[in-house]
Amino acid sequence: MPRREHLLKIGVSGIRGVVGDFLTPSLACAFAQAFGTYVGPGRVVVGRDTRRSGPMLQHAVCCGLLAAGCEPVDVGVLPTPTIQIYTGHTRARGGIAITASHNPPEYNALKLFNSQGLFFNTYERNELLDLYHQSDFRQAGNAETRTVRWDYETPAGLHLARVLSHVNGEAIRARRFRVALDAVNGAGSRLSCRFLETELHCRLHAISVDPDQPFPRVAEPRPETLSELSALVRSRNCEIGFAQDPDGDRLAVCDETGRVLDNDDVLALAVDAVLRRLPGDVVVNLTTSSAIDDVAASHGRRVYRTPVGEANVVEMIQAVGAAIGGEGSNGGIILPAVHLCRDSYTGMAFLLDRMAETGLRVSELAARLPRYHRRFGQARYEHGRLGPLMQALEDEFPGARADRSDGLKLELETGWIHVRASNTEPLLRIAAEARTEQEADALFGRAMRLVEG
Amino acid sequence: MSEPKKLRITAAGLRGVVGRGLTAAHVLDFAAAFGTLLEAGRPVLVGRDPRASGVMLREGVAAGLLACGHDVIDLGVASTPVIQHAIRRMEAGGGVSIGASHNPAEWNALKFFGPQGTYLSTAESNELLDIYHLRKFAFAPWNGLGALRFETGALDAYLDELAGVFDFAALRRFKVVVDCCNGTSALILRRLVERFRLNFILINERIEGVALAHEPATNARIASLQLAPLIRPLEADAGFLFDVDSDRVAICTEEGTPLSEEMALPLIADYQLPKSQGRIVITNLSTTALVEEVAARHGGRVIRVPVGRQATIDALAAHRPDQVALAGEGTGAVMMPQFRFVYDGIASMFAVLSMMRERGCKLSQIVSGYPRYSILKGELPLISKQMPALLMDLQRQYAGGRINIADGLRVDWPDRWFHVRVSQTEPVVRIICEQRGDPPVALFESLLDKVRSLT
Repeated sequence: MPRREHLLKIGVSGIRGVVGDFLTPSLACAFAQAFGTYVGPGRVVVGRDTRRSGPMLQHAVCCGLLAAGCEPVDVGVLPTPTIQIYTGHTRARGGIAITASHNPPEYNALKLFNSQGLFFNTYERNELLDLYHQSDFRQAGNAETRTVRWDYETPAGLHLARVLSHVNGEAIRARRFRVALDAVNGAGSRLSCRFLETELHCRLHAISVDPDQPFPRVAEPRPETLSELSALVRSRNCEIGFAQDPDGDRLAVCDETGRVLDNDDVLALAVDAVLRRLPGDVVVNLTTSSAIDDVAASHGRRVYRTPVGEANVVEMIQAVGAAIGGEGSNGGIILPAVHLCRDSYTGMAFLLDRMAETGLRVSELAARLPRYHRRFGQARYEHGRLGPLMQALEDEFPGARADRSDGLKLELETGWIHVRASNTEPLLRIAAEARTEQEADALFGRAMRLVEG
Repeated sequence: MSEPKKLRITAAGLRGVVGRGLTAAHVLDFAAAFGTLLEAGRPVLVGRDPRASGVMLREGVAAGLLACGHDVIDLGVASTPVIQHAIRRMEAGGGVSIGASHNPAEWNALKFFGPQGTYLSTAESNELLDIYHLRKFAFAPWNGLGALRFETGALDAYLDELAGVFDFAALRRFKVVVDCCNGTSALILRRLVERFRLNFILINERIEGVALAHEPATNARIASLQLAPLIRPLEADAGFLFDVDSDRVAICTEEGTPLSEEMALPLIADYQLPKSQGRIVITNLSTTALVEEVAARHGGRVIRVPVGRQATIDALAAHRPDQVALAGEGTGAVMMPQFRFVYDGIASMFAVLSMMRERGCKLSQIVSGYPRYSILKGELPLISKQMPALLMDLQRQYAGGRINIADGLRVDWPDRWFHVRVSQTEPVVRIICEQRGDPPVALFESLLDKVRSLT
């Protein structure tokens, strides 16, 4: 099939698309009315990131919710985790975050949460999608129609208080850390300044914290897009730098030299810090570094592996009552004691906490982590080639332990290879990890030759 | 008789029972169609009456307009005339009034206005409908969307305009009782009383989204329920009744007598014609012949058009504004040139009070100066396919009268007339007869029998 650009997707993960002729207010309204019908009449929390299309879509969403007899509670511009925490805390019927997360600014999307502030599970998502397609919406009459309420005060304080209750705030404040921040002019812009400066007494050097301005860089916080943050850390002599994505769930970190840490290492640092304070095991996806296993083992804890995807990690955390979870490559840290969602604030707090406790620099903390080398790549593939390809890979490494729960993961003496098909594009994603650069290159090269062959 | 329609999408806009006919999807698509019709560059005003469903409609209208790249200014709960005046004053590109006026609370509707706060022309209305049906909307790209802001000054600015036309200080002498029907007139009059210390007593003045105190129609029957009985005990000089968005008015005299809804137009014509350069009064074919008699006293003449706002708008557009003294219909909806031809019940009320002051007469004295006309109104279920034959039959039967077939059939004799037409809003045939003096009972009954005989 020819390669198409996906300007609109309506699927089990909700509705996402390029605003304009693709993601229209009518679609957002209908989807919200389906959501309102599904969760039932009652309060539904609605918030958004700083995308230009946010207010328009928020009106469309509120229209659909009101039409279904729900009472929208507008919380304004807030990070997705803040919206989730508030939804769960206030026992609303559900929540909707209007954000396309790390996607480019022309995109927008609806993230949907249940009454606990959790992403819908697979069954809920399927039911909602069926409801949407059947257009069998609840239609409130005049007497059942509620109005839009506002709460711009409670959610932020609630979120920050929860995060701070798990770290030694006194110790962090005493250090008056010099911190650099790049909030990509996103939903975290105001909250992060308040968190770091007001709550944690950091000496803050912030860029891109104006929610009225467009995203100044690629929205996804990856090492190659954070040169401004690195420069800021160096020029201001900061001890650490933080970068968020537009909806404040993902975190990237750079050390005091301005080097952006590998996301897997950030997760490993957070896991180490959390396991020192909380009992319980660890859940990560199959593509996350083995460094997590070593860190967990040093605390005598277990690591559970899941298919890639936040929902999978969250479900496993719930099932095993884990202390912490996350996904290495995408900068997601999930601390269930705060909330079962990716939360950049939890990541910031625990890294500062660890620095305060040890007196070590970030680079020193990172240097103490077990050393692994990772390679990532992707390749086009034809549908129908997948089965033979996976089998050929398995045959190429006869001694390996194979895990087929999400594509194919092969664990070898020297490291591992993970090959999986993207759910959204005709792409294979290939990851390899080993103790040495040479071994990582060798594993990755063998896998890529087969995939591209 | 079939169940009354729950949704009507016509050139006049969108109207229906919320949830049962009128849905969020209709609202969004209609707003997007209007956003596509309007030229870019100027904000669009949005206001609503206090019905509970109004917020849902407002959200949908805002989303549709913002998506088409228009900035939106939300006036909150505001009457239709306030919105129309604000459009012109704020040099907006157009406006949307959310409210079902004289329909029961469970209804809602969208009314659309162009620049200057004018009603859309027939051509524009039809284009809006075409865009709606095609659903090819001119959505702006993600970085060209509009922004919404709130504006609270529209009411005071509107009152300033009223104060420029009417001498409020001189009207303080009158004690006036007003039935606000829980609608926007309460907001307007409370503020008026506060600013100009008028002697007004408001009833049903609580802004209410669900349970209106009574049906929001402006006629003698509703005026007799709560308003009329208060007038004599309170020794008031007049009583007025408004619909929810206060574009229509019904009137009671100081004797506590509710006037026929037909009376507002002739009364205001009597006040307006001596003051106005224009000689023309525009009204529809179903409105009382008293209009002609009053107009004739002042050298004015009446232009009769089909029933419905659109025909009146088109007739207005076909004349120079200074040629027209007044336009209106026998429902209590009247528009005056001083207020740029906007149906405005509040302005109508002040015209009546000003006439009382200027003539030094009680309202009952003014009314008793007019000849008595008796009007009979009825409706019967519509059998659409029989209508042409019925109208032809009637035309033959009453060939002795003056025939007008612009809207159904109207036949005029020197002292009486009848009008048989199909309603635009319900599946019924309406029969109206009027006679100078006593009611034309025999004519009315024979017309009803004629329609009943259809199968």
